[in-house]
Amino acid sequence: MGTSRNLERRTLLKAAGASAAALGLATTAGCGGGSGSGDGTVTIRYSWWGAEERAKKINQTIALFEKKHPKIKVKTDFQTYQSFWEKFQTQAAGGNPPDVFQNAVTFLRKYDKRGILLDLKSQAQAGNLSLDHFRAGVTKVGQVDGRQLGIPVGSNTMALVIDKKVFRKAGVEPRPGWTWDEYFKSLKTVHDRTKVAGDTGYFTIMYLYDLYLRQNGKAFYTEDGLGFDKADLTEWWTDGYNRVKAGIVTDPKVVQQDMPKSSLSAGHGASEFTWDNFTVRYSAEGDSTYGLAPIPTTDGKHTGQYLASLMLSASAHTAHPREVAQFIDFMVHDPEVGRIMGYDRGILASTEQYGAYRPADAVNKEIAQYEEDTAKSGVLGTITPHPSGADTIEAAFLRIGGDLGQGKTKVADAVKQFFTESEAAFQG
Amino acid sequence: MTLVKDTVSAARRPRPAATATAGRPGRRRDNLAGYLFMSPWIAGFLLLTAGPMVASLYFAFTDYNLFNSPKWVGLDNFTRMFDDPRWQKSVEVTVRYVVIGTPLKLLLALGVALLLAQSRRGQAFYRAAFYAPSLIGASVSVGFVWRSLFSDGAIVDRTQTFFGWHVGGWVGNADWVLYCLVALTVWQFGAPMVIFLAGLKQVPRELYEAAEMDGAGPFRKFWNITLPMISPVLFFNVLLETIHSFQIFGSAYVVSNTYCGPADATLVYTCYLYQQGFRNAQMGFASAMAWMLLLAVALVTAVLFWSQKKWVHYEEGAR
Repeated sequence: MGTSRNLERRTLLKAAGASAAALGLATTAGCGGGSGSGDGTVTIRYSWWGAEERAKKINQTIALFEKKHPKIKVKTDFQTYQSFWEKFQTQAAGGNPPDVFQNAVTFLRKYDKRGILLDLKSQAQAGNLSLDHFRAGVTKVGQVDGRQLGIPVGSNTMALVIDKKVFRKAGVEPRPGWTWDEYFKSLKTVHDRTKVAGDTGYFTIMYLYDLYLRQNGKAFYTEDGLGFDKADLTEWWTDGYNRVKAGIVTDPKVVQQDMPKSSLSAGHGASEFTWDNFTVRYSAEGDSTYGLAPIPTTDGKHTGQYLASLMLSASAHTAHPREVAQFIDFMVHDPEVGRIMGYDRGILASTEQYGAYRPADAVNKEIAQYEEDTAKSGVLGTITPHPSGADTIEAAFLRIGGDLGQGKTKVADAVKQFFTESEAAFQG
Repeated sequence: MTLVKDTVSAARRPRPAATATAGRPGRRRDNLAGYLFMSPWIAGFLLLTAGPMVASLYFAFTDYNLFNSPKWVGLDNFTRMFDDPRWQKSVEVTVRYVVIGTPLKLLLALGVALLLAQSRRGQAFYRAAFYAPSLIGASVSVGFVWRSLFSDGAIVDRTQTFFGWHVGGWVGNADWVLYCLVALTVWQFGAPMVIFLAGLKQVPRELYEAAEMDGAGPFRKFWNITLPMISPVLFFNVLLETIHSFQIFGSAYVVSNTYCGPADATLVYTCYLYQQGFRNAQMGFASAMAWMLLLAVALVTAVLFWSQKKWVHYEEGAR
């Protein structure tokens, strides 16, 4: 009896020890994210933001890539815009960002400052990635202080999307070079004749205010701060608020409830400023027909527009820079990938892909035409990478502007709050 | 509480022999095996709960953006809170939510428990039915359902308009949206209700019979017998629900489509904490906020415990 009890105890101890050890092992395995294996196969992690539709397309392109590079496996992950950056920030802080990821100009300086982004120039020099064959000027968008921190997959520019049916019914016809006065008069006409608000809330969109400032010789950002003062913003927001009250801009209460749908596609507004490649969204969400219209101007000529872009960036921490570079190269240059992706992430950036994809549907054709016209009219300026903290500021601009529209804050307080939050964001 | 204590001491009682052998090495090996078996949980507690708590206490006194190493700033984060209009707003929103939501929820829970305490046919079904919302209440999908119920032209709007009170959807309305969250928590009254039910079953029948002999009506019986007799349970529920309410996050986050708006009307405390920590990467400030919340909840709990002397009736001696 005694021995068996001892035995039992020993087994118990062993079992307990084993369970503790197993836990330890599990923890190490969980942290390592092991990416290489014996037969030379390498696994890289790729993540992006976007909807289900984009994920489906990207998965097709990855299957194509894995077929051509059987030694490289790609693990994927995607979220919505906001969640993506929350998760990315946490991963990056933990020294474990994805090897390759979708990026935008707002985040270049922020993550460059934190040492997260790989300078892809060295990979280009090593012959793993080509920086040639891009449409004019688009590679500039991924550059910060002479380094190539992102490779554009598509370019886009701010545009005015209109509900064509409502505009036609109101008898309003947008024209290139129209002024803000003409634009707002048109909104009033739309509202008077159709009872639909003319615009869904232009004054809370950072990228539009940027265009307005550029038309007036300023910009939203300098290299390390805000490019406008409190008086500028007070004027912009006072006008915006008055237009909400006059009914020519959609009531922010309604905008809030329509989310995640846009108020334009919900029929609660007749136009909305957004990126040209988002036009696809409205046709998918709404019942009307939507088209692109020119950005209003101050002087009848300059729109302040520039080419922005979604790009692919690589982690400076990646264990496989060569494979990551090969992956990016394939994703931006392969014609078949271009045919699959279409204009989902903007007008295709490389000439190979741009040439390979011919949009078949009206919406995509119009987007292509819009960018071509904009480029031809010579209004495109150059973009400066936003200072670190720009992402927080963009969100604050939207939020505080929305509060203002609800009539919950006075303009003076809203402006003060925005400047306080911006200051904190730049320091972050 | 006393009940729990009794059970524990009863379990210990028949083991005097074991205490006598405590000094022997075999006993220690038993302990070792025990600890080893517990090790996953001990490790989990130390690594996932205690460790982070200590770390966050330290971060609360630093400027920390996740990437740079934390910089000691003393009490700056705490003083900053009181100058921050959004922090003040978040406190106001949370307090309003707790003060309005908790009593409503408990009143409803008690009311329904009183009805269900009577023996009726299908009683088990009703209990389960009323409890169900508590089970699914924490899920994100309910938040989405709520969002659509309280939008423009949805059922709530239409019902309200039918009665001649047009407000429109609550979700987009800064003055109304908080009540949408209150409604959500009140709807989940099942958990406190079950506890009330258990308390009601404990009230001795004799007391009611005696009261009836003396000619007491239903209100009198409730006020002089039921309420004092279930006051420990009531206290427990008040405590639990208050603490729980202070921690509201999920419903505010989902109903407001992650922005805790409009116009910060659903910016509950934890939501602002989340925004500062995970969106703006102000981990120092967020940690300070978390400890401030802990202090506030501890204070409220202390006040409740102090107040129970005045209104909670414990029977002399355990039954």
